[in-house]
Amino acid sequence: MLNVNNVQIVYDNVIEAVRDASLTVDEGQIVTLLGSNGAGKSTILKGISGVLYPEEGDIIGGTITLDGENMIGRKPDEIVRSGVVLVPEGRQLFEPLTVEENLMMGGITRNRSAAAEALEYVFSVFPRVKEKRGMIAGYLSGGEQQMVAIGRALMSRPRLLMLDEPSLGLAPQIIAEIFEAVTDLSKQSNVSVLLVEQNAELALSIASYGYIIENGRVVMDGTPAKLMNNEDVKEFYLGFSESGNRRNMRDVKHYKRRKRWLS
Amino acid sequence: MDYFILLTVSGISIGVIYGLIGMGYALIFKATSVVNFAQGEVMMLISYMAFSIASSWSLPFWSLLGVCVVLSGVVGLLIERIFIRPMLGQDVFSTVMVTIGMAVMIRAVVVLIWGADPMVLPTDIGDSGVEFGMVFLYTAQIYAIGFLAVCVFGMWAFLRFSRMGVAMRATAARETTALLMGINVTRVYALAWAIAAVIAGVSGVLLGTIYGLGPDMWTQGLRAFPAVILGGLDSVFGAAISGILIGVLENLSEGYIGHGLKEISGFLVILVVLMIRPYGLFGTPEIERV
Repeated sequence: MLNVNNVQIVYDNVIEAVRDASLTVDEGQIVTLLGSNGAGKSTILKGISGVLYPEEGDIIGGTITLDGENMIGRKPDEIVRSGVVLVPEGRQLFEPLTVEENLMMGGITRNRSAAAEALEYVFSVFPRVKEKRGMIAGYLSGGEQQMVAIGRALMSRPRLLMLDEPSLGLAPQIIAEIFEAVTDLSKQSNVSVLLVEQNAELALSIASYGYIIENGRVVMDGTPAKLMNNEDVKEFYLGFSESGNRRNMRDVKHYKRRKRWLS
Repeated sequence: MDYFILLTVSGISIGVIYGLIGMGYALIFKATSVVNFAQGEVMMLISYMAFSIASSWSLPFWSLLGVCVVLSGVVGLLIERIFIRPMLGQDVFSTVMVTIGMAVMIRAVVVLIWGADPMVLPTDIGDSGVEFGMVFLYTAQIYAIGFLAVCVFGMWAFLRFSRMGVAMRATAARETTALLMGINVTRVYALAWAIAAVIAGVSGVLLGTIYGLGPDMWTQGLRAFPAVILGGLDSVFGAAISGILIGVLENLSEGYIGHGLKEISGFLVILVVLMIRPYGLFGTPEIERV
Protein backbone atom coordinates (compact mmCIF):
# COMPACT_ATOMS: atom_id res chain seq x y z
CA MET A 1 0.00 0.00 0.00
CA LEU A 2 2.60 2.56 1.13
CA ASN A 3 5.92 2.44 -0.64
CA VAL A 4 8.88 4.51 0.43
CA ASN A 5 11.68 4.17 -2.05
CA ASN A 6 15.26 5.38 -1.62
CA VAL A 7 14.10 8.51 0.10
CA GLN A 8 16.69 11.11 0.98
CA ILE A 9 15.79 13.95 3.34
CA VAL A 10 17.87 16.98 4.26
CA TYR A 11 17.36 19.78 6.76
CA ASP A 12 18.46 23.31 5.91
CA ASN A 13 19.67 22.02 2.52
CA VAL A 14 22.78 20.49 4.03
CA ILE A 15 22.13 18.28 7.02
CA GLU A 16 21.30 14.85 5.74
CA ALA A 17 18.87 13.17 8.13
CA VAL A 18 17.74 10.27 5.96
CA ARG A 19 19.50 8.63 3.06
CA ASP A 20 18.25 5.82 0.89
CA ALA A 21 15.46 4.75 3.17
CA SER A 22 13.08 2.24 1.65
CA LEU A 23 10.17 0.54 3.28
CA THR A 24 6.81 -0.96 2.45
CA VAL A 25 3.63 -1.21 4.45
CA ASP A 26 0.91 -3.52 3.18
CA GLU A 27 -2.82 -3.49 3.84
CA GLY A 28 -3.67 -4.38 7.44
CA GLN A 29 -0.03 -4.93 8.36
CA ILE A 30 1.83 -3.65 11.40
CA VAL A 31 5.31 -2.57 10.40
CA THR A 32 7.82 -1.30 12.89
CA LEU A 33 10.71 1.05 12.41
CA LEU A 34 13.47 0.61 14.97
CA GLY A 35 16.54 2.64 15.61
CA SER A 36 18.32 4.71 18.17
CA ASN A 37 17.85 8.42 18.80
CA GLY A 38 18.58 10.59 15.82
CA ALA A 39 18.50 7.69 13.38
CA GLY A 40 15.94 9.46 11.23
CA LYS A 41 12.80 7.51 12.12
CA SER A 42 10.66 10.52 13.00
CA THR A 43 11.98 12.37 9.98
CA ILE A 44 10.75 9.60 7.69
CA LEU A 45 7.28 9.78 9.26
CA LYS A 46 7.21 13.56 8.92
CA GLY A 47 8.30 13.20 5.32
CA ILE A 48 5.41 10.86 4.61
CA SER A 49 3.00 13.29 6.33
CA GLY A 50 4.31 16.26 4.41
CA VAL A 51 5.19 18.34 7.46
CA LEU A 52 8.93 18.74 6.97
CA TYR A 53 8.71 22.25 5.62
CA PRO A 54 8.07 24.08 8.91
CA GLU A 55 11.42 22.68 10.08
CA GLU A 56 13.19 23.57 6.83
CA GLY A 57 13.33 19.92 5.85
CA ASP A 58 13.00 18.69 2.30
CA ILE A 59 12.78 15.39 0.47
CA ILE A 60 15.46 15.65 -2.22
CA GLY A 61 15.42 12.16 -3.62
CA GLY A 62 13.41 8.99 -3.94
CA THR A 63 9.70 8.36 -4.10
CA ILE A 64 6.84 7.94 -1.66
CA THR A 65 3.73 6.36 -3.13
CA LEU A 66 0.39 5.32 -1.72
CA ASP A 67 -1.28 2.72 -3.94
CA GLY A 68 1.04 3.82 -6.71
CA GLU A 69 0.17 7.50 -6.39
CA ASN A 70 2.87 10.03 -5.61
CA MET A 71 2.71 11.52 -2.11
CA ILE A 72 5.69 13.87 -2.20
CA GLY A 73 4.80 17.54 -2.50
CA ARG A 74 1.20 17.07 -1.41
CA LYS A 75 -0.18 19.35 1.27
CA PRO A 76 -0.58 17.87 4.76
CA ASP A 77 -4.37 18.05 4.61
CA GLU A 78 -4.46 16.21 1.28
CA ILE A 79 -2.30 13.49 2.78
CA VAL A 80 -4.70 13.13 5.71
CA ARG A 81 -7.59 12.94 3.25
CA SER A 82 -5.84 10.20 1.33
CA GLY A 83 -5.89 8.14 4.54
CA VAL A 84 -2.44 8.54 6.05
CA VAL A 85 -2.19 10.14 9.46
CA LEU A 86 0.58 10.57 12.01
CA VAL A 87 0.35 10.47 15.80
CA PRO A 88 3.32 12.66 16.66
CA GLU A 89 5.96 11.88 19.23
CA GLY A 90 5.08 13.06 22.72
CA ARG A 91 1.33 13.20 22.03
CA GLN A 92 1.25 16.88 21.08
CA LEU A 93 -2.36 17.39 22.09
CA PHE A 94 -4.00 20.77 21.76
CA GLU A 95 -3.69 21.30 25.51
CA PRO A 96 -6.09 24.20 26.09
CA LEU A 97 -8.87 22.43 24.18
CA THR A 98 -11.20 19.83 25.61
CA VAL A 99 -10.79 16.17 24.74
CA GLU A 100 -13.78 16.27 22.45
CA GLU A 101 -12.52 19.39 20.67
CA ASN A 102 -9.17 17.66 20.19
CA LEU A 103 -10.93 14.73 18.61
CA MET A 104 -13.08 16.96 16.40
CA MET A 105 -9.90 18.57 15.09
CA GLY A 106 -8.68 15.13 14.08
CA GLY A 107 -11.81 14.83 11.99
CA ILE A 108 -11.60 18.28 10.43
CA THR A 109 -10.97 16.86 6.97
CA ARG A 110 -14.31 15.05 7.06
CA ASN A 111 -17.79 16.50 7.01
CA ARG A 112 -19.77 17.02 10.18
CA SER A 113 -21.83 13.83 10.16
CA ALA A 114 -18.85 11.65 9.22
CA ALA A 115 -16.89 13.25 12.05
CA ALA A 116 -19.70 12.57 14.52
CA GLU A 117 -19.73 8.95 13.41
CA ALA A 118 -15.96 8.74 13.75
CA LEU A 119 -16.27 10.15 17.27
CA GLU A 120 -18.46 7.22 18.30
CA TYR A 121 -15.95 4.87 16.70
CA VAL A 122 -13.08 6.39 18.69
CA PHE A 123 -15.11 6.15 21.88
CA SER A 124 -15.66 2.46 21.16
CA VAL A 125 -11.92 1.92 20.69
CA PHE A 126 -11.01 3.91 23.81
CA PRO A 127 -13.95 3.90 26.26
CA ARG A 128 -11.76 5.76 28.75
CA VAL A 129 -11.59 8.72 26.39
CA LYS A 130 -15.37 8.98 26.35
CA GLU A 131 -15.43 9.47 30.12
CA LYS A 132 -13.02 12.37 29.80
CA ARG A 133 -14.57 14.03 26.76
CA GLY A 134 -15.37 17.31 28.50
CA MET A 135 -12.02 17.70 30.23
CA ILE A 136 -9.20 20.02 29.21
CA ALA A 137 -6.76 17.76 27.37
CA GLY A 138 -3.68 19.25 29.02
CA TYR A 139 -4.76 17.99 32.42
CA LEU A 140 -5.13 14.31 31.48
CA SER A 141 -2.62 11.71 32.55
CA GLY A 142 0.06 10.66 30.08
CA GLY A 143 -1.69 7.42 29.17
CA GLU A 144 -5.00 9.12 28.63
CA GLN A 145 -3.29 11.77 26.53
CA GLN A 146 -1.78 9.08 24.34
CA MET A 147 -5.21 7.52 23.89
CA VAL A 148 -6.63 10.91 22.91
CA ALA A 149 -3.73 11.42 20.51
CA ILE A 150 -4.35 8.07 18.80
CA GLY A 151 -8.09 8.66 18.90
CA ARG A 152 -7.64 12.07 17.33
CA ALA A 153 -5.72 10.50 14.46
CA LEU A 154 -8.39 7.80 14.10
CA MET A 155 -11.01 10.53 13.62
CA SER A 156 -9.91 10.83 10.01
CA ARG A 157 -10.60 7.07 9.64
CA PRO A 158 -7.13 6.45 8.24
CA ARG A 159 -6.02 3.44 6.24
CA LEU A 160 -2.50 3.91 7.51
CA LEU A 161 -1.86 5.01 11.07
CA MET A 162 1.67 6.12 11.85
CA LEU A 163 2.66 6.08 15.51
CA ASP A 164 5.79 7.86 16.68
CA GLU A 165 6.91 6.33 19.95
CA PRO A 166 3.52 5.79 21.57
CA SER A 167 5.16 4.26 24.64
CA LEU A 168 7.21 7.36 25.44
CA GLY A 169 7.09 8.09 29.16
CA LEU A 170 4.24 5.72 29.98
CA ALA A 171 3.87 3.02 32.61
CA PRO A 172 4.22 -0.58 31.34
CA GLN A 173 0.60 -1.36 32.10
CA ILE A 174 -0.66 1.58 30.04
CA ILE A 175 1.73 0.70 27.24
CA ALA A 176 0.30 -2.81 27.15
CA GLU A 177 -3.21 -1.39 26.97
CA ILE A 178 -2.32 0.92 24.11
CA PHE A 179 -0.47 -1.73 22.14
CA GLU A 180 -3.41 -4.04 22.56
CA ALA A 181 -5.71 -1.39 21.15
CA VAL A 182 -3.34 -0.86 18.21
CA THR A 183 -3.23 -4.60 17.49
CA ASP A 184 -7.02 -4.75 17.59
CA LEU A 185 -7.22 -1.83 15.20
CA SER A 186 -5.15 -3.54 12.57
CA LYS A 187 -6.96 -6.84 12.99
CA GLN A 188 -10.55 -5.64 13.26
CA SER A 189 -10.63 -2.39 11.33
CA ASN A 190 -7.95 -3.40 8.83
CA VAL A 191 -5.91 -0.28 9.60
CA SER A 192 -2.27 -0.57 8.60
CA VAL A 193 0.17 0.63 11.22
CA LEU A 194 3.65 2.05 10.85
CA LEU A 195 5.13 2.01 14.31
CA VAL A 196 8.27 3.82 15.37
CA GLU A 197 9.57 2.60 18.70
CA GLN A 198 12.55 2.63 21.00
CA ASN A 199 11.21 -0.38 22.81
CA ALA A 200 12.25 -2.95 20.22
CA GLU A 201 11.08 -6.02 22.07
CA LEU A 202 7.58 -4.64 22.46
CA ALA A 203 7.37 -3.38 18.90
CA LEU A 204 8.56 -6.66 17.39
CA SER A 205 6.03 -8.54 19.48
CA ILE A 206 3.10 -7.03 17.63
CA ALA A 207 4.66 -6.28 14.24
CA SER A 208 4.63 -8.51 11.21
CA TYR A 209 7.67 -6.87 9.66
CA GLY A 210 10.45 -4.65 10.91
CA TYR A 211 13.10 -2.27 9.65
CA ILE A 212 16.18 -1.15 11.50
CA ILE A 213 17.45 2.32 10.75
CA GLU A 214 20.81 3.71 11.64
CA ASN A 215 22.32 7.03 10.65
CA GLY A 216 19.49 7.65 8.25
CA ARG A 217 19.67 4.39 6.32
CA VAL A 218 17.85 1.11 6.56
CA VAL A 219 20.48 -1.36 7.62
CA MET A 220 18.35 -4.43 8.07
CA ASP A 221 14.82 -5.61 7.57
CA GLY A 222 12.87 -8.78 8.04
CA THR A 223 10.21 -10.58 10.02
CA PRO A 224 10.30 -10.18 13.79
CA ALA A 225 11.56 -13.75 14.11
CA LYS A 226 14.47 -13.07 11.80
CA LEU A 227 15.33 -9.77 13.48
CA MET A 228 15.10 -11.17 16.96
CA ASN A 229 17.50 -13.94 16.08
CA ASN A 230 20.08 -11.60 14.68
CA GLU A 231 23.06 -11.27 16.99
CA ASP A 232 23.41 -7.54 16.49
CA VAL A 233 19.76 -6.82 17.07
CA LYS A 234 19.87 -8.96 20.15
CA GLU A 235 22.81 -7.13 21.51
CA PHE A 236 22.05 -3.55 20.56
CA TYR A 237 18.26 -3.44 20.58
CA LEU A 238 17.04 -6.20 22.85
CA GLY A 239 19.79 -6.02 25.42
CA PHE A 240 21.02 -9.61 25.28
CA SER A 241 24.66 -10.53 25.01
CA GLU A 242 25.86 -13.15 22.57
CA SER A 243 25.47 -15.88 25.08
CA GLY A 244 21.79 -15.05 25.32
CA ASN A 245 21.88 -13.78 28.87
CA ARG A 246 20.58 -10.41 29.78
CA ARG A 247 23.56 -8.07 29.76
CA ASN A 248 25.18 -6.89 32.87
CA MET A 249 25.59 -3.16 32.45
CA ARG A 250 29.03 -3.32 34.06
CA ASP A 251 30.32 -5.29 31.12
CA VAL A 252 29.04 -2.98 28.46
CA LYS A 253 31.84 -2.18 26.10
CA HIS A 254 30.21 -0.97 22.94
CA TYR A 255 33.44 0.01 21.29
CA LYS A 256 34.83 -3.50 21.39
CA ARG A 257 32.15 -5.11 19.30
CA ARG A 258 31.44 -3.53 15.98
CA LYS A 259 28.04 -3.97 14.52
CA ARG A 260 28.48 -6.35 11.63
CA TRP A 261 26.36 -4.29 9.28
CA LEU A 262 28.82 -1.44 9.52
CA SER A 263 31.37 -2.86 7.17
CA MET B 1 -21.07 62.74 41.54
CA ASP B 2 -22.37 64.14 38.29
CA TYR B 3 -18.81 64.81 37.25
CA PHE B 4 -17.89 61.20 38.07
CA ILE B 5 -20.74 59.78 36.03
CA LEU B 6 -19.92 62.05 33.14
CA LEU B 7 -16.29 60.97 33.16
CA THR B 8 -17.24 57.32 33.47
CA VAL B 9 -19.70 57.37 30.62
CA SER B 10 -17.38 59.15 28.24
CA GLY B 11 -14.66 56.80 29.39
CA ILE B 12 -16.82 53.84 28.50
CA SER B 13 -17.61 55.22 25.09
CA ILE B 14 -13.94 55.62 24.16
CA GLY B 15 -13.07 52.41 26.02
CA VAL B 16 -15.43 50.54 23.75
CA ILE B 17 -13.30 51.60 20.81
CA TYR B 18 -10.14 50.46 22.64
CA GLY B 19 -11.88 47.19 23.34
CA LEU B 20 -12.74 46.69 19.69
CA ILE B 21 -9.24 47.47 18.47
CA GLY B 22 -7.88 45.31 21.28
CA MET B 23 -10.00 42.38 20.18
CA GLY B 24 -8.31 42.60 16.82
CA TYR B 25 -4.86 42.53 18.41
CA ALA B 26 -5.83 39.60 20.61
CA LEU B 27 -7.42 37.57 17.82
CA ILE B 28 -4.41 37.86 15.54
CA PHE B 29 -2.05 37.14 18.40
CA LYS B 30 -4.08 34.17 19.52
CA ALA B 31 -4.19 32.59 16.09
CA THR B 32 -0.77 33.48 14.73
CA SER B 33 1.26 34.64 17.77
CA VAL B 34 2.05 37.85 15.91
CA VAL B 35 1.26 41.23 17.44
CA ASN B 36 -0.15 43.31 14.63
CA PHE B 37 1.02 46.83 15.35
CA ALA B 38 -0.87 48.11 12.33
CA GLN B 39 -4.27 47.44 13.89
CA GLY B 40 -4.94 51.13 14.59
CA GLU B 41 -3.72 52.03 11.10
CA VAL B 42 -6.06 49.54 9.47
CA MET B 43 -8.86 51.19 11.41
CA MET B 44 -7.76 54.60 10.17
CA LEU B 45 -7.49 53.38 6.57
CA ILE B 46 -11.01 51.95 6.58
CA SER B 47 -12.50 55.06 8.13
CA TYR B 48 -10.91 57.21 5.42
CA MET B 49 -12.20 54.82 2.78
CA ALA B 50 -15.60 55.16 4.42
CA PHE B 51 -15.21 58.93 4.09
CA SER B 52 -14.65 58.64 0.34
CA ILE B 53 -17.62 56.32 -0.06
CA ALA B 54 -19.88 58.43 2.11
CA SER B 55 -19.02 61.63 0.33
CA SER B 56 -19.39 60.11 -3.16
CA TRP B 57 -22.71 58.37 -2.61
CA SER B 58 -24.79 59.45 0.35
CA LEU B 59 -25.48 56.01 1.69
CA PRO B 60 -27.58 55.44 4.78
CA PHE B 61 -25.43 54.56 7.79
CA TRP B 62 -26.17 50.85 7.80
CA SER B 63 -25.38 50.42 4.10
CA LEU B 64 -22.16 52.34 4.60
CA LEU B 65 -21.28 50.03 7.48
CA GLY B 66 -22.10 46.99 5.34
CA VAL B 67 -19.86 48.19 2.52
CA CYS B 68 -17.08 48.86 5.02
CA VAL B 69 -17.39 45.39 6.51
CA VAL B 70 -16.82 43.84 3.09
CA LEU B 71 -14.08 46.34 2.28
CA SER B 72 -12.18 45.80 5.51
CA GLY B 73 -12.45 42.04 5.13
CA VAL B 74 -10.80 42.36 1.73
CA VAL B 75 -8.16 44.70 3.14
CA GLY B 76 -7.42 42.18 5.90
CA LEU B 77 -7.07 39.33 3.42
CA LEU B 78 -4.84 41.41 1.17
CA ILE B 79 -2.58 42.40 4.05
CA GLU B 80 -2.27 38.76 5.07
CA ARG B 81 -1.61 37.59 1.54
CA ILE B 82 0.86 40.31 0.54
CA PHE B 83 2.77 41.08 3.74
CA ILE B 84 2.26 38.29 6.22
CA ARG B 85 2.14 35.04 4.29
CA PRO B 86 5.63 35.44 2.81
CA MET B 87 6.82 35.71 6.42
CA LEU B 88 5.42 32.29 7.36
CA GLY B 89 8.09 30.15 8.95
CA GLN B 90 10.21 33.19 9.73
CA ASP B 91 10.86 34.48 13.19
CA VAL B 92 7.77 35.96 14.86
CA PHE B 93 9.84 39.03 15.62
CA SER B 94 10.49 39.69 11.93
CA THR B 95 6.78 39.46 11.23
CA VAL B 96 6.09 41.96 14.00
CA MET B 97 8.61 44.29 12.39
CA VAL B 98 6.74 43.89 9.12
CA THR B 99 3.53 45.00 10.82
CA ILE B 100 5.31 48.06 12.20
CA GLY B 101 6.55 48.88 8.72
CA MET B 102 3.05 48.37 7.41
CA ALA B 103 1.72 50.75 10.05
CA VAL B 104 4.07 53.53 8.99
CA MET B 105 3.21 52.91 5.37
CA ILE B 106 -0.54 53.06 5.89
CA ARG B 107 -0.21 56.31 7.82
CA ALA B 108 1.77 57.84 4.98
CA VAL B 109 -0.59 56.56 2.30
CA VAL B 110 -3.60 57.97 4.14
CA VAL B 111 -2.04 61.42 4.36
CA LEU B 112 -0.92 61.15 0.75
CA ILE B 113 -4.39 60.37 -0.55
CA TRP B 114 -6.69 62.22 1.81
CA GLY B 115 -4.45 64.95 3.15
CA ALA B 116 -3.58 65.83 6.72
CA ASP B 117 -6.56 68.04 7.56
CA PRO B 118 -9.13 66.83 10.06
CA MET B 119 -12.38 65.88 8.38
CA VAL B 120 -15.90 64.96 9.33
CA LEU B 121 -17.25 61.58 8.33
CA PRO B 122 -20.57 62.50 6.75
CA THR B 123 -23.14 59.97 7.88
CA ASP B 124 -26.84 60.37 8.40
CA ILE B 125 -26.63 59.59 12.11
CA GLY B 126 -24.12 62.41 12.56
CA ASP B 127 -25.20 64.56 15.49
CA SER B 128 -28.21 62.59 16.60
CA GLY B 129 -28.13 61.05 20.03
CA VAL B 130 -30.03 60.12 23.13
CA GLU B 131 -30.04 61.81 26.48
CA PHE B 132 -29.82 59.59 29.56
CA GLY B 133 -30.50 61.85 32.50
CA MET B 134 -27.65 64.31 32.31
CA VAL B 135 -25.39 62.37 29.98
CA PHE B 136 -25.74 62.67 26.26
CA LEU B 137 -24.64 59.83 24.02
CA TYR B 138 -24.29 60.06 20.26
CA THR B 139 -26.07 57.38 18.29
CA ALA B 140 -22.70 56.17 17.04
CA GLN B 141 -21.51 55.77 20.63
CA ILE B 142 -24.51 53.62 21.41
CA TYR B 143 -23.89 51.62 18.26
CA ALA B 144 -20.26 51.15 19.30
CA ILE B 145 -21.30 49.74 22.66
CA GLY B 146 -23.77 47.45 20.92
CA PHE B 147 -21.20 46.39 18.35
CA LEU B 148 -18.70 45.51 21.06
CA ALA B 149 -21.30 43.35 22.78
CA VAL B 150 -22.12 41.64 19.49
CA CYS B 151 -18.43 41.09 18.76
CA VAL B 152 -17.70 39.64 22.17
CA PHE B 153 -20.61 37.26 21.99
CA GLY B 154 -19.96 36.44 18.35
CA MET B 155 -16.28 35.70 18.90
CA TRP B 156 -17.05 33.62 21.92
CA ALA B 157 -19.57 31.52 20.02
CA PHE B 158 -17.28 31.29 17.00
CA LEU B 159 -14.25 30.11 18.98
CA ARG B 160 -16.27 27.70 21.08
CA PHE B 161 -18.76 26.13 18.71
CA SER B 162 -17.70 26.49 15.10
CA ARG B 163 -15.22 24.04 13.65
CA MET B 164 -13.20 26.86 12.11
CA GLY B 165 -13.10 28.62 15.48
CA VAL B 166 -11.92 25.52 17.30
CA ALA B 167 -9.38 25.00 14.52
CA MET B 168 -8.15 28.53 15.21
CA ARG B 169 -7.60 27.71 18.86
CA ALA B 170 -5.97 24.41 17.93
CA THR B 171 -3.60 26.16 15.53
CA ALA B 172 -2.77 28.65 18.25
CA ALA B 173 -1.96 25.82 20.64
CA ARG B 174 0.15 23.70 18.29
CA GLU B 175 0.73 24.69 14.75
CA THR B 176 2.59 21.60 13.52
CA THR B 177 0.03 19.25 15.00
CA ALA B 178 -2.71 21.31 13.41
CA LEU B 179 -1.01 20.72 10.06
CA LEU B 180 -0.77 17.02 10.82
CA MET B 181 -4.48 16.79 11.51
CA GLY B 182 -5.22 18.34 8.15
CA ILE B 183 -6.20 21.79 9.38
CA ASN B 184 -5.61 24.31 6.63
CA VAL B 185 -3.39 26.59 8.69
CA THR B 186 -2.97 29.29 6.04
CA ARG B 187 -6.74 29.59 5.79
CA VAL B 188 -7.01 29.91 9.57
CA TYR B 189 -4.44 32.71 9.51
CA ALA B 190 -6.15 34.51 6.67
CA LEU B 191 -9.47 34.30 8.49
CA ALA B 192 -7.98 35.72 11.69
CA TRP B 193 -6.56 38.69 9.78
CA ALA B 194 -9.84 39.24 7.97
CA ILE B 195 -11.94 39.18 11.15
CA ALA B 196 -9.51 41.50 12.94
CA ALA B 197 -9.64 43.90 10.00
CA VAL B 198 -13.44 43.85 9.96
CA ILE B 199 -13.60 44.66 13.67
CA ALA B 200 -11.05 47.44 13.14
CA GLY B 201 -12.96 48.73 10.13
CA VAL B 202 -16.31 48.95 11.88
CA SER B 203 -14.75 50.62 14.90
CA GLY B 204 -13.04 53.03 12.50
CA VAL B 205 -16.35 54.04 10.98
CA LEU B 206 -17.89 54.52 14.40
CA LEU B 207 -14.88 56.42 15.73
CA GLY B 208 -14.88 58.62 12.64
CA THR B 209 -18.55 59.38 13.10
CA ILE B 210 -18.09 60.30 16.76
CA TYR B 211 -14.79 62.18 16.75
CA GLY B 212 -14.12 62.93 13.09
CA LEU B 213 -11.18 61.87 10.97
CA GLY B 214 -7.60 63.00 11.38
CA PRO B 215 -4.12 61.81 10.53
CA ASP B 216 -3.54 60.96 14.19
CA MET B 217 -6.40 58.46 14.42
CA TRP B 218 -3.94 55.60 14.51
CA THR B 219 -2.87 56.60 18.03
CA GLN B 220 -6.09 54.99 19.22
CA GLY B 221 -4.42 51.72 18.29
CA LEU B 222 -1.53 52.57 20.56
CA ARG B 223 -3.91 53.55 23.34
CA ALA B 224 -5.73 50.25 22.95
CA PHE B 225 -2.52 48.32 23.40
CA PRO B 226 -2.45 48.52 27.22
CA ALA B 227 -5.97 47.10 27.13
CA VAL B 228 -4.82 43.97 25.34
CA ILE B 229 -1.86 43.51 27.64
CA LEU B 230 -4.09 44.04 30.64
CA GLY B 231 -6.66 41.55 29.41
CA GLY B 232 -4.05 39.02 28.39
CA LEU B 233 -2.66 39.09 24.88
CA ASP B 234 -4.42 35.90 23.89
CA SER B 235 -7.80 36.70 25.41
CA VAL B 236 -10.27 38.22 22.97
CA PHE B 237 -12.84 38.62 25.71
CA GLY B 238 -10.27 40.10 28.09
CA ALA B 239 -9.31 42.73 25.52
CA ALA B 240 -12.92 43.90 25.29
CA ILE B 241 -13.39 44.22 29.04
CA SER B 242 -10.00 45.79 29.65
CA GLY B 243 -10.61 48.23 26.81
CA ILE B 244 -13.54 49.67 28.70
CA LEU B 245 -11.57 49.56 31.94
CA ILE B 246 -8.67 51.49 30.45
CA GLY B 247 -11.01 53.99 28.82
CA VAL B 248 -12.73 54.77 32.11
CA LEU B 249 -9.46 54.86 33.97
CA GLU B 250 -7.90 57.29 31.53
CA ASN B 251 -10.83 59.62 31.86
CA LEU B 252 -11.01 59.47 35.64
CA SER B 253 -7.30 60.01 36.10
CA GLU B 254 -7.39 63.00 33.83
CA GLY B 255 -10.51 64.40 35.39
CA TYR B 256 -9.43 64.06 39.01
CA ILE B 257 -5.64 64.10 39.01
CA GLY B 258 -4.53 66.18 36.13
CA HIS B 259 -4.02 66.76 32.49
CA GLY B 260 -1.44 64.59 30.76
CA LEU B 261 -2.14 61.56 32.87
CA LYS B 262 -4.55 60.26 30.29
CA GLU B 263 -1.79 59.06 28.04
CA ILE B 264 0.12 57.16 30.67
CA SER B 265 -2.46 55.94 33.16
CA GLY B 266 -3.20 52.84 31.10
CA PHE B 267 0.44 51.89 30.97
CA LEU B 268 0.81 52.50 34.70
CA VAL B 269 -2.00 50.08 35.41
CA ILE B 270 -0.57 47.33 33.23
CA LEU B 271 2.76 47.69 34.98
CA VAL B 272 1.10 46.91 38.27
CA VAL B 273 -1.21 44.21 36.97
CA LEU B 274 1.51 42.36 35.12
CA MET B 275 3.55 42.12 38.29
CA ILE B 276 0.72 40.21 39.90
CA ARG B 277 -0.65 38.36 36.88
CA PRO B 278 2.06 38.11 34.21
CA TYR B 279 -0.37 36.67 31.66
CA GLY B 280 -2.92 39.47 32.13
CA LEU B 281 -6.32 39.47 33.75
CA PHE B 282 -7.94 36.94 31.42
CA GLY B 283 -4.99 35.40 29.59
CA THR B 284 -4.31 31.69 29.76
CA PRO B 285 -1.38 30.62 31.87
CA GLU B 286 0.58 27.71 30.38
CA ILE B 287 -1.03 24.39 31.18
CA GLU B 288 1.40 22.35 33.18
CA ARG B 289 0.76 19.07 34.88
CA VAL B 290 2.63 18.54 38.10
